[in-house]
Amino acid sequence: MKKSPAKSSHAVGSFSKALTLITTWLNRPENTILLVLGIILSFAVLYPLWSVVQNSLTIHPGKEAMIANSLGFGLDGLQGANWYYLMSGPYGQKYLWEPLGNSLLLATLSCVFALIFGGVAAFLVTRTNMPCKKWISTVFIFPYIMPQWTLALVWKNLFWSAKVTGGADGLLAFISNGAIAMPEWWCRGLFPCAMVLGMHYAAFAYILIGGIFKNMDASLEEAATILNTPKWKIIFRITIPMIIPAILSTILLVFSSAVGSYPVVHYIGGKNFSVLATSYIELRAITGDGYAAIIGIIMLVIGFLILIVNQLTMHSRKQFITVSGKSAQATKINLGKVFKWVCAVVLIIATLLTSLLPILSFTLETFVENPGDYSSFTTKWWVYHENGEVGMYGNYGVFYNASLWTSFRNQAIVAISCALIAGSIGFLAGYAVSRKRKSKFASYVNGMSFFPYLIPAVAFSVAYYAFGLQMGLGGFAGAMVLMILCGSVKYIPFSSRSSLSAMMQLSPEIEEAAVIQGAPWWKRMGRIVIPIQKSAIISGYLLPFITGMRELNLFMFLVSNNDQLATTSLAYYDEMGLTPFSSAVNLIIILFVLAANLLVNLLTGASIDSGIGGGKKNA
Amino acid sequence: MEKHKLFVIAGAALLGAALSACGGGGAAVAPKVSYIIDENNPVYKVIKEAQNMDAKDLYKKAMEEINGKEFTGIGNSSRGKTAKEYFINYLKGLDKDGNPSDEIKKAFPYADPNFNCTINWTQPKENSIFTMIDTDVKSSNHVISMTLIQDANQIAAKEINTGNFYNYIPKEWKGEESNKEPFALQSLNKIFEFNNLGNKTFKNCWDFVRTGETPMFMTPQSEPVGRNWLIMLSQKKYSDILMNAAKALEGTEKERIEKEANDLAGKASEFKLDAESGKYGLAFAKLWLNQYAARTDDGPICNELVTQAAAGSSACIVYSKLRSIAESDTSSKKNVTVAAYQDGYKGIGGYMYKHYLQVLKTSPYPWTSCAFIHFMTCTHDGFAAWGKDIGGYCSNTTTGVNQDHSNDGGTDFPVLNDKGYDWWVGTGEGKGNLVVEDGAYCASVELTVGTWLDTLK
Repeated sequence: MKKSPAKSSHAVGSFSKALTLITTWLNRPENTILLVLGIILSFAVLYPLWSVVQNSLTIHPGKEAMIANSLGFGLDGLQGANWYYLMSGPYGQKYLWEPLGNSLLLATLSCVFALIFGGVAAFLVTRTNMPCKKWISTVFIFPYIMPQWTLALVWKNLFWSAKVTGGADGLLAFISNGAIAMPEWWCRGLFPCAMVLGMHYAAFAYILIGGIFKNMDASLEEAATILNTPKWKIIFRITIPMIIPAILSTILLVFSSAVGSYPVVHYIGGKNFSVLATSYIELRAITGDGYAAIIGIIMLVIGFLILIVNQLTMHSRKQFITVSGKSAQATKINLGKVFKWVCAVVLIIATLLTSLLPILSFTLETFVENPGDYSSFTTKWWVYHENGEVGMYGNYGVFYNASLWTSFRNQAIVAISCALIAGSIGFLAGYAVSRKRKSKFASYVNGMSFFPYLIPAVAFSVAYYAFGLQMGLGGFAGAMVLMILCGSVKYIPFSSRSSLSAMMQLSPEIEEAAVIQGAPWWKRMGRIVIPIQKSAIISGYLLPFITGMRELNLFMFLVSNNDQLATTSLAYYDEMGLTPFSSAVNLIIILFVLAANLLVNLLTGASIDSGIGGGKKNA
Repeated sequence: MEKHKLFVIAGAALLGAALSACGGGGAAVAPKVSYIIDENNPVYKVIKEAQNMDAKDLYKKAMEEINGKEFTGIGNSSRGKTAKEYFINYLKGLDKDGNPSDEIKKAFPYADPNFNCTINWTQPKENSIFTMIDTDVKSSNHVISMTLIQDANQIAAKEINTGNFYNYIPKEWKGEESNKEPFALQSLNKIFEFNNLGNKTFKNCWDFVRTGETPMFMTPQSEPVGRNWLIMLSQKKYSDILMNAAKALEGTEKERIEKEANDLAGKASEFKLDAESGKYGLAFAKLWLNQYAARTDDGPICNELVTQAAAGSSACIVYSKLRSIAESDTSSKKNVTVAAYQDGYKGIGGYMYKHYLQVLKTSPYPWTSCAFIHFMTCTHDGFAAWGKDIGGYCSNTTTGVNQDHSNDGGTDFPVLNDKGYDWWVGTGEGKGNLVVEDGAYCASVELTVGTWLDTLK
């Protein structure tokens, strides 16, 4: 049957119209970015997500099969036995409901501590005439650079005592000859875990809130001051509403991280304080991957709910634009001659305790004969290079330990690659989403870009391990590629949050003015957007880099050799009781990240904290 | 379809084992693990052939298979990394220190200095070894060839009964029957120790759970071999030892233990533990879980235990950890006593678990897997990575791969003088009375005793 010429011409016309529409739509860079990222992220995120769901419905051999059989469930295909037993069986109370309550409490308290600690520090550094800002700003992010369990170890070494926690005395009990023994609630359980996580994640609050304080348009506050508005009213009615996006972003990041945090609770939670993350690990050991996946899904749902709240607020964020074309430098609040020094001293002491004390502690540990025993010192952990020393288990001292340095080099390669990929994707995602904030597809891409953050690292790693096997990514090179791929996807949320938070503050008018002038997209980005929000964008690269440098759980499945990464070497040394080596690895990681931060600062004028108080610009 | 069948068979076997334990008598006579064999599997065929081959022929086959290629092993022990270096050296005709060895060249004339291969040794953390193995077996592209793995309970339930593992026993190996299936590389001690400064005494295993004691221990969920130990306490052999030790107690502690055990008589009956002593096993496990001070690893526990500040503290840890303690003003190995080494000590001295060597049914390099297993269990250099320490005993008892540690500490540090495998597993007065892990028994009471332990606080 032949088509009539009229119909054919109509079809061609429709096709041409559709093509024009698509071309026009794609001509807007933010649309193209959203489309490409939407496709890539859907695969990169939904694949591990489905893998977690599938795992929860699969009856794995071993105890899961025994339970399913005893309940009369089938063993093949997808089954609900794991869900049924965990929700209603004897494991429910201990491994699900109680940990769920504890996790929510822990995450809430960690958010409160992080916001108070980080928010107050950010305010004092950016909005007041407090002295010693550069020092405080630089040192404040140290706890985030360190693996979170290192702070937990410091807490344990400081406050535990033979009297309360059993074993040997911590520093406080030791120097007071047992007279000072901190109570149980201070040593183990919810409070110390929340404090440590709060201190660790305070950097999020500091960077995000501080970034807004730094860039804030002071005209509103100045107008209120001219109208004789009381200071407290200015803070609650103008200042805080303007930093709400940053507060929400901080809550989102800290809450989700705290819910999924394992090491801190592992070290100082004590055996009677369990959270979802510890249940996840314990259930994997005693039942199997199916039960652990259920816990993973619950953690994911909690994070997802927080994300929805965040998304809802994003749709009404127009009023939070703080960077306009007519921004003025905010006036610094005068704290008074005495109070400004009081604030500085308090913050310096706090940063000394949370940042420098762990570093000094690591350094000291590399010079003691036995970990935790400060009565005898040695340099063997650094310089020994023979084979006779029993206590070193055949390892050379750090300076001569080739495998340790190789593993460090590998970790740096992985972290830098992840930072470059995740940083770029996150930056583009933040930009495109902010420009299309009312679009549902933008919301989808935004959600997808954050989802990796909510998936437990171990579950994420397992999914990518299976993916790597399917793709034939074996051996050293394959493992490196896989780790870079996995890390990049997992760290996109850091950069996308940082970028989105910054882009949301940027009025579209600025870019629109350039569009009217006919400036192409790349020029608008290079000349306007990036320079204005340089510090937030650099943060988007540095956060994945820092996280990648101290990552263990995510790469645990993917390394092909134990000594392939610095963190896996660190775990090996810890397991062998070679704490001086693990302390040395920690020390090297921290110094490397600090040096990298300094280098970025020298080259670009920006650093992770430069948008706030540190960095070359503020020197 | 075949996979489905295997899975159902394995599940039914496990459930059957569990039910037989529950149904009376099963707990007293432990069931055995049973390998699911596919006669047509190429890996199985290689193993069958390898078991009848001499070392030199087996190593030659391995060299042909792996030369210029990359081999991956996975293990719970990081020392596999050292062993694989010694293995490559051996195939090149070098000793473990990398020096040319006439002795090796004589024993293995095919040794080739130009031989080249890479052996990756991965040590997964947080019990992820089973996940990694299962993922690899299910994958269409297999990477892992063999494993050195612990936790007999899960090995039986997750890997052997599902047909994922094959067992290879070297022709030259000679040892105890109990170490054959699954094939064990070595047995390791986790023993009761205490800091002897101060006035406390620990002359009975129940002293470690007396009122107020908080022995340091790795959380059983972190290290499932510790969980298996607690499950094993319900087995008649060990609950009898506990019962006799409890009867030797005096005063209020005796009353307390008797009351605790009697309170659990109902549970013992519910779990169909036939022996009268079963309730003592449950009582010890319950008190231990109530009272232990959780620590993350044995190394840090040992570092704490040897200090003066830890006077009177106690722990259950890997014996070899003591070896790495350097003497200082506040730390000393002399501060620690091994409970079971004391004259007149009553009850169990701790527990013993094993490292097993298994070949994956999907092993890409089965010859090399067998040769590497052979090397580790049948040669001095092969076991040297573990053998240099106290508290670890190679399963091969006749070829001299074990090293003697009976005088490692001399008179200065008698705590380091290892009394040896036979003494530790021996039962009765003046012996170690260690609780030896039995995967089949653990699996048989997993649903009853195991679940009960998991839900205790």
